[in-house]
This record gives sequence, structure tokens and C-alpha cells, in this order.
Amino acid sequence: MPVAFVRRSGRARRCAGKRGASDVVDFGRVGGEHVAPAVLSDSLTKRFGKLTAVDDLSFALEPGTITGFLGPNGAGKTTTLRMLLGLAAPTSGRALVFGEPYAALERPALRVGSVLEATDFHPGRSGRDHLRMLARAVDLTDERVEEVLRLVELDAAASRRVKGYSLGMRQRLGLASALLGDPELLVLDEPANGLDPEGIRWLRDFLRAFAAERRTVLISSHVLAEVAQTVDQVLIINRGKLVIESSLEQLTARVGGSVRIRSPDPARLRDALKREGIDATSSNDHALLVHGTTSDRVGDIAFAAGVPVHELVAEGSSLEEVFLDLTSESQP
Amino acid sequence: MIAQTRAELLKIRSTRTTIGLVLGMLAIVVLFALLSGLLTKTRDLTSKEDQLGLLGVGSFAGVFSALAGIMLVTSEYRYGTIRPTFLFTPRRSRVLAAKLGAGLLAGLGFGVVGGLLGFGIGYAALSGRGVAFALSGGDVALLALGTIAGGAIWGAIGVGLGAIVRNQVGSIIALLAWGFVVENLLFAFVYSAGRFGPVHAQDALTGLTTKHLLPAAGGGAVLIAWAAALAVAGTALTARRDVN
Repeated sequence: MPVAFVRRSGRARRCAGKRGASDVVDFGRVGGEHVAPAVLSDSLTKRFGKLTAVDDLSFALEPGTITGFLGPNGAGKTTTLRMLLGLAAPTSGRALVFGEPYAALERPALRVGSVLEATDFHPGRSGRDHLRMLARAVDLTDERVEEVLRLVELDAAASRRVKGYSLGMRQRLGLASALLGDPELLVLDEPANGLDPEGIRWLRDFLRAFAAERRTVLISSHVLAEVAQTVDQVLIINRGKLVIESSLEQLTARVGGSVRIRSPDPARLRDALKREGIDATSSNDHALLVHGTTSDRVGDIAFAAGVPVHELVAEGSSLEEVFLDLTSESQP
Repeated sequence: MIAQTRAELLKIRSTRTTIGLVLGMLAIVVLFALLSGLLTKTRDLTSKEDQLGLLGVGSFAGVFSALAGIMLVTSEYRYGTIRPTFLFTPRRSRVLAAKLGAGLLAGLGFGVVGGLLGFGIGYAALSGRGVAFALSGGDVALLALGTIAGGAIWGAIGVGLGAIVRNQVGSIIALLAWGFVVENLLFAFVYSAGRFGPVHAQDALTGLTTKHLLPAAGGGAVLIAWAAALAVAGTALTARRDVN
């Protein structure tokens, strides 16, 4: 589906220098000018009694990136996001958005769009009224409400009470509320929960188009596969601590992805791969297992050598295995 | 502030909760006005105090104003809309102030409707039974003012209570238990303390001169003090507490 961002006029307000030099954190220079990270977590810690939910967590997100914030359930993802968005106070450390605490931003909904729970609606209120009440609080117009309703394809259902919405529709209504202020940063907690495969694809295309405009996305998930095709980089946390911060490519390289290829003539295929410097190991039923390359490359080599291919599979679960390894190895 | 208040007023209008409360209030006021207007013996309707009791049935609006105020805060916690609300307006004191304003306005509406209805039915009952009207113009004015202002202030009391006891059922039970049980016992046994309770302050504000009640102005001041104290406590707690 086409994804178009309808921009409101008057973006200049954002550039108007509201930043007191004193409260802007200095994070070095990007392209010669000072740019605060879109999101900064600086030794962020949250304790609930004896339980440390978030433990000395530090990371920074540059504008224009899509970051997957991953970890098993209970790892501290949501608590971190709540602190970033000013809903919970850190026990220690700082959580900054565009260099300032969220609550210190002037009309933050116009810079940061966020959804923490897909179910944060009054069941007896219509989707349209939900958006209108939020729009009123920041002086956005009812026309803007209609724009975001069309954007998430909920305009036909907007007059209905939310209690009749499917989970996928609720997710889109939440997204609509986040987009009301035409933000530069989207923070979404488990946005793919409850979406069908079509919905996940829709969300992926949507976020890609959003980030293509140099805007920043932070999405959390407990399932790597859900976001692997969407994100540029991942932050993986477990038990409140950062386990790894890396680009998706680096993470994939760690996997050393394996490709399974089946041919009626495995010997000739093995030779062809060997000529390209790729070692293959035999599997049963004429199949070969190839490590450290991609299915694209293996397929191209087979084609060039004129070897018939009956099956070509990139073993997809391995990324998930790395994720599981990473999140289980820090067990005490 | 104006933006947030408009948002709060839309919240009140956009669910069926408010219409339910209005219908509940109408039913209670009509029921009590008819019961006391038709069943009370004529000799118990002749004094000014008797007639204030009958014509002031609209004071029940205060209960429903307070419930509306409680709903304005606790439904947000119950359904999670408090999260988007605070994400759009992270200065929580601003949200609370807007809710207090919206609660006052909604309560004012309850007071006007309940007051008019109670007075109308009571007056019709008195004239229908040929009972001489014992109230002066000043008495009627004070009754009207007390019912309407009281309705508004109870709306704010509900918002403050809801912000302190965020659990919806807990908040409603606290209101009803205090209003219908605790404060009445207190007034019955220790009137010097009980008359400073909000329910008895409301009675005083409408001009009732039952033994031991405060004067009307004192009742008004005490009622406002209750609303202010609950609002301050609710705002302070809301600013401090994490939102889950």
C-alpha cells in the first residue's frame, strides 16, 4: 500500500531554538554541527524494591535509524520506554529525548509519537473521539485527526466504539495517535503483537517509509524475527542490562548463516562452490549445507554452473538462536 | 490549559458514562421528590425547614457530580488512557487542573438540572396539596445557589478523590461510605466535628438550619476547603507516582 506522510504546515516551530545550551548534552558532532541523539539512555536504572528492572543501561540512537529494542519478556524494555517517555521516574541515571527529559519538551507529542500499550482506549469511545481528545490537548485540528485515520486505514471504522475493534485495528489506532503530531521520533512497544502477517508487512513498509525521511524509530519486541526485516540495528537487553548493541548486519554475521541447497548432482555443485572458495558439507538426500554466505550467492553460483537446483533454503531460525543465546548466556 | 480543558470536556461527552450518571441522578431526584412530596404528612411540610428539605432534594446532584469527577480520573487509569493523556501533556498538574475545571463544569450542570427538577416537583406537590409556601425569596435564592455551587464543588471533590484513590471501585466506595455512613455517624455522635464534613457543609450551604449545622457561608467555605485539599493532595500524588 502506498504510504504517504501528510505534513502539516509550520514545521519551522521545531527549529525555533528552544534548546538552552545548558541542558543540551554534548555528544560530539555529526556533519560538523551539534546534534543531540534522538534518544539517550545514560546509566539508566530503575529499582522496584529489591528488584532491579533496568540496570545501568546506556545507549544512544542517532536520528534516521530504526532500532529494534529486544529482549525476553520481563527484560526491562517497557520500563525503559516508560522512563524515556516521562511516565516513570528513574531511580538513577538519565533518559533524554532530543537532549532533554521528555516532560521538559514543549508539546512533546509534536516531536515524539509513542504507543506503550495497544489497549489504551476507553472501550465505549469511538476511535475518532479518542484521537480528537488527544488532538485537542495539543491544539491539533480535527482535520489532522481525519488525515491520520486515513493514513492507518481506519477512516471507515472511526465512528465505531473501540470495543468492536480487532487487535490489529487497535494497534493501528494507537499508531494513529502517535502520528497525530507528525513526530520526528516514533517509540512503539511491541507494535507487532496481535498483527496478522499482512499487518506486520504493512507496519514494516510503514516504518521504512517513515525512517526514509530521516526520522527515527525505536520499536521493542520479544521476537527478533518480528522486527528483523524492519530494523537497521538492535539493542538487546536481558535482566535490565544491555547485552549487545549492534547493526543487524553484524548480528547476522555472528550467526554465520547457513544455506541448504538440494540438487540431483551434488558433486558438480560442490565443485562449483569450491571454485568460488565456498566449502559445503553433505547432508542427507543429496542436499548440501553451506556456511558463511547467502542464499542469493549460492543460487547464482549454481545457475552459472548450470547445475539444476531442486531446493534452496536460507536457514532462518539461526538469527533467533543467536538472540536466544545472547539473552540466556547472562543468566547468573 | 484551555486546550487540556477542551480535551477533558470531550472525554466527558464521548462515552456513555455521563449520560448514565445524568439518568441516574434524574431517577433518584424524581423518586425522592415524589416520595417525600406525596407521602409526607401535611403537618410535616409546613415549616421552612420541612420545605427546604423537600425542595432541596436536588442536592442529590452532588453525589452524581462527585461520581462524574471520580470517573474523569479513574477511567483513565482503568482503561489505560492515562498513558496517552500524559504523553500528550506530560505536565501532570496541568492535566489535573483541566480535570478539576471540567469536573466543576460538569458538576455545575448536574446541580442546575437536579436543582431545577427537585424544586419543580416539590413546588408542584406543595401547591397541589394546598400547603402554604413558607420560603422567602432569599431562602429560594440560597437554595438555588447552594445546589448549583455545591454540585460544581462536588465535581471537583470527585476529581481530587479519584486522583488519590486511582482504583475506580475503591474511589466510589470511599465516596459512598463517607457520604452515607461515616460522616452521618460522626455528625450524630460528635456533631462539632461532623458538621465540618463535606456533606453537612453542603446541607448548610443550601440554607438548611438544622441544629448544629454551620451557617451557610461557613458551609460554603468548608466545602471549598475540602475540594481544595483533595485537589492539592491528588495533584501532588499524581506528580510523584509512576504510571504503569
